[in-house]
Amino acid sequence: MSDPDTPREATLIQSLKAGDNRSYQEAVRVYTPGMLAVARFYLDHSSAEEIVQDCWVTVIDAIQEFEGRSGLKTWLHRIVANRCKNRLRSSKREVATDFSESLEPELASRFNSTGRWDLPPKLQFHESADTLMENGALGDCLDKHLSALPETQRSALMLYEAHQHKSDDVCNILDVSASNLRVLLHRARQKIFLMVETFQETGEC
Amino acid sequence: MLMCRDLAVIASDYIDGELAGRQNLSVKMHLMMCKDCRTFIGNLRASIELMKAHSSTQPDEELLRRIGERVAEALIARKSHGSESE
Repeated sequence: MSDPDTPREATLIQSLKAGDNRSYQEAVRVYTPGMLAVARFYLDHSSAEEIVQDCWVTVIDAIQEFEGRSGLKTWLHRIVANRCKNRLRSSKREVATDFSESLEPELASRFNSTGRWDLPPKLQFHESADTLMENGALGDCLDKHLSALPETQRSALMLYEAHQHKSDDVCNILDVSASNLRVLLHRARQKIFLMVETFQETGEC
Repeated sequence: MLMCRDLAVIASDYIDGELAGRQNLSVKMHLMMCKDCRTFIGNLRASIELMKAHSSTQPDEELLRRIGERVAEALIARKSHGSESE
């Protein structure tokens, strides 16, 4: 993912403004996953894909007004978020998310009544992330569990970790408070932790 | 006193450096004394790194192709519309 201020991104923006198809194809490939992560926070799978497709067509005209006050990625994500919010407003629906509890029930059940570990983590994850990722079965398991995350948690996780947005940007794009973003991230991370732990202990997903 | 369960609640905030000074210090002190929580924090951190390494976000090729085609068509339509109005 390119940094907003890189000369490469500046060149890409100029090519997009000139309507160069090859640059659009490159941009679609680079930025669509993040745009989908934003849309999936608000909408179901097929509506999210539809919104992202529509956004790309909108971008062809809107890019002429892009002044570079934010990076291209943040600008695209905001377009998607605004479209999704409009769609929700028109259908009078709201994103349903539970921000009340920051500990996953499965993890919470591993502490006793005094707040100490009853079932502490047994194994230490020794290998580096890159080494672990050489295990294809673990990758498949991660995919499965990432897909099973609630949309809100997955979107927060993808924007913050994978697409490396700053917290402020994620809050703005997803329309959540900073404290609620922290809850979403922590819940999602715990689920991944529990998954990796089970995988390491049993070899099963 | 910070208990293991309390630490688990704020573990992500600690990892991301989001805790205020005093709370951060009490987590550090707890970690010095508690091996289980050290393992937990280490493993949570490793899980985050693993997620980052994995989430090269494999795109849905079919969707990317559809969007690419739609954008290409829209660009052609825009160009032909532009040349008609000239």
